Amino acid sequence: MSNSANANALSTEEMERFQKLSNEFEPDVKGPAVSVKQSSHNIALEYANADPTLAAKTSALALTHPTTRVMRGDGNCGWRAVIFGYFEILFNLRDPHRVQAESQRIKNLNGLLDRVGHQQDIYEIFVDETMDIFTQTLTAIQNGVHDESFLVEALCNENQSNAVITHFRLLTSAWMRLNPQDYQAFLSLPVDQYCSTRIETVRTEIDEVGLQALVVGIIKDAGFGVEILYLDRSEGDAVTPHPLTTATPAGATIRLLYRPGHYDLLYRPEVEVNINPMVNYQYGMTTNYAPWDQGAAHNFEISPQMMAIPNLMADPAFAMGPDPMSPMSSVSPAPASPYQPSPTHEMYPTPIQSHAPVPAVPSIPAPSPPAVQSSAPKPMMSLPSRTSDGPQIRMNPFAMKASLNRALPVTTPFKNSPYNQAHFQNQDFEPIHWEPSDSRR
Amino acid sequence: MSSQKRIAKEFAELSASPPDGISVELADEANIYEWKVCIDGPEGSPYQNGKFLVKLNMPTEYPFKPPTISFKTKIYHPNVTNDDKGSMCLGMLRADEWKPSSKITAVLQFARQLLEEPMPDDAVEGRIAEQYNNDRKRYEEVAREWTRRFAMADHFHNTARVKEVQFN
Repeated sequence: MSNSANANALSTEEMERFQKLSNEFEPDVKGPAVSVKQSSHNIALEYANADPTLAAKTSALALTHPTTRVMRGDGNCGWRAVIFGYFEILFNLRDPHRVQAESQRIKNLNGLLDRVGHQQDIYEIFVDETMDIFTQTLTAIQNGVHDESFLVEALCNENQSNAVITHFRLLTSAWMRLNPQDYQAFLSLPVDQYCSTRIETVRTEIDEVGLQALVVGIIKDAGFGVEILYLDRSEGDAVTPHPLTTATPAGATIRLLYRPGHYDLLYRPEVEVNINPMVNYQYGMTTNYAPWDQGAAHNFEISPQMMAIPNLMADPAFAMGPDPMSPMSSVSPAPASPYQPSPTHEMYPTPIQSHAPVPAVPSIPAPSPPAVQSSAPKPMMSLPSRTSDGPQIRMNPFAMKASLNRALPVTTPFKNSPYNQAHFQNQDFEPIHWEPSDSRR
Repeated sequence: MSSQKRIAKEFAELSASPPDGISVELADEANIYEWKVCIDGPEGSPYQNGKFLVKLNMPTEYPFKPPTISFKTKIYHPNVTNDDKGSMCLGMLRADEWKPSSKITAVLQFARQLLEEPMPDDAVEGRIAEQYNNDRKRYEEVAREWTRRFAMADHFHNTARVKEVQFN
């Protein structure tokens, strides 16, 4: 009896201690609130040793969505991803009138806040910071700035980021309180309580219902699309897309990568290429390109063995021009490589995709029968046709034929390049192997 | 800084029309982040007739982080630590339940409400909570006695202690 009483007393004390620890617990989150754009190949590397489904899905993802932006997992990642994506699209559309219209539209949403009883002197400091980002966006467009790093800075600035996120949280909460019939059925607690404990708090992660409300109530009217790509262990060899808006216009759709409890941003290839015409800067080339030279294609021997090298094409460092302001940002997997400044960077296999039959790549799971018929792995089918896109032609090796011919043989470096993961000098060296179920390291 | 602007606004509002049983002043005119709050013990509670000096500290990240409350007057209460910090941290005051749209007036009213109705399930002083649950009468006696000793007019004892704590 006394024993059990003692045990209870002890456990009460212990419980108190744990409660205190729990109350004071601050997760040790690292990294910037919003990262620079980086290769989605990093995600594939994270899962290389994981469940084969995840490994396959992330490998495919690196092809369909070559770049990503990582959000810090501090409880606001979902909010920050949507808000950053929203401003980034607005910036990339480069239409001053649209920025002004959006700024006005968001400001008018103050009406929602008034209707649910928020006082203006409380919410105006949040709204002001959002308006400041609109102003910065407008100024950047008017000054011909093409680099979105000011947006990254704005959302990495703790005060501004907190204020803007709070603003969007309050708007979302007001929207839900004013339209409870649309949300109540999906909630286990009353809408009001849900809003005050899950939406308006400082660092409660957004859930699906909240995200739906944010998109439908606040983002959708901008004419932007929002799509979630679920990365989980469900069947299939690609992440599961789930559009939150009826339309997902190219170049104006926020794409979120969802892993349980965390959101990041994803980008499809055409977005970067189309909106970033400064790609050629890094090559120091003129804009006076020679037209597509069919003759060059004959010199460029397409070797099936080469195409069978896993991760060669999966490495978006080849497919995407790095950001002109931080030339190495998209090749971060091998930052220390002494080979980076080398002209081999110009070696670039993309055009092969559009006119060469590509055998199945071992690290990517066998494509479904129809894909086999068309003799290309499934993920590549979803890539846009390269030959029809103007700016992309600049980045193919043929346009650089003259300099390449002087410096390098055209075909062999692919296999021998340290950029190739199958090359022993590559930082992320992985030998080629043939059994997908084998451990990769 | 936006936090200063907002705190100044809230302070002006609270000074002009303070809620029942609560009065505020700045601990130091030059520092808007630290307030001295006087909470009257609610009627009908064992803290009745007591005047509790509470220090309210606003973090520089306010309103994105909650203010912190510490009782400078000793108080016998399950939700206030029985040490020289006298801190109260629960409900809306916790960092993960804090809402940037909450106002300080709500925080102070919440604190006063807690004197009237302790929340033993979220106690920081387990033994007081246990007593509150199992021997309410004894709890009230002790709380009343502490109120008489530390929070009532024979201030000398009381304010002396407060000073000492403040300069610690």
